[in-house]
Amino acid sequence: MEYAQDIIDSTQDIFSSMIMLDVTPGEPFLRNDDKLVNSISGIIGLAGNTKGMLAIHMTNEAALAVTAAFLGMEVEEIDEDVRDAIGELANMLAGSIKSILDPGGSDIKLSMPSAIYGEDYTVDCLAGAHSVTVPFTFDGLGFMVELQLRKES
Amino acid sequence: MGKTVLIVDDSNTMRKIVSRALRQAGIDFSTILEAGDGQEALEVLGSNNVDVVLSDINMPNMNGLEFLKAKAEDAAIKDIPVVMISTETGADIIDEAKSYGAKGAIKKPFTPDLINETLGALL
Repeated sequence: MEYAQDIIDSTQDIFSSMIMLDVTPGEPFLRNDDKLVNSISGIIGLAGNTKGMLAIHMTNEAALAVTAAFLGMEVEEIDEDVRDAIGELANMLAGSIKSILDPGGSDIKLSMPSAIYGEDYTVDCLAGAHSVTVPFTFDGLGFMVELQLRKES
Repeated sequence: MGKTVLIVDDSNTMRKIVSRALRQAGIDFSTILEAGDGQEALEVLGSNNVDVVLSDINMPNMNGLEFLKAKAEDAAIKDIPVVMISTETGADIIDEAKSYGAKGAIKKPFTPDLINETLGALL
């Protein structure tokens, strides 16, 4: 699936260099509008010649572990630090993917990161977009990185 | 004598990570100051003796490029070196930052070694 390897390379680079975590990719798939349960999603919007979004969807357990590793301190609930950390992860992933799609840097604009979380929610697919999701695991925990792109003609 | 650095980023998490990377980089910083956007950064620069600034680009209120422009117009602080530290390191945006006085750019994700290499040349 297009861009799957770019997602894998970017994710592994960011996790190993910033969080000192080795993450293992699974088989890329099309996520559709499946429900996310007890999870948090960090989302960056893409605008310009190519529109879409980059999202990282983490189970609460994975988000707590990642934030603890990020900050070097214990984290017990989905609080402002966790939302900020997962949003910043999405930001770095989107920046990395943008550098591949738009090396000059002026054709695609990135939004500020946002985070949504809850017991049961959906993140819908952009109509007409090319979509790919890559699952990752570390220490028995899981998360997904999703890229949706729609090139304007 | 230890140097003073100002980290400008709207993400509290990223400010902590940059701060940790600065300590790991081996540069003798005696004071690490923080600001959440460009406007806060101007206020910090106006009331502290800062040796170097590490600034994000995408921030609310006043972004990194607007901060560089405003800083360049203030004679008291215009010569303090600024290095951009951002996910946004495309050639166009970095050229724009440099045209407003930025001395370099560090791409997120980064390593302490990269910070040492970039800041070492300025201090």
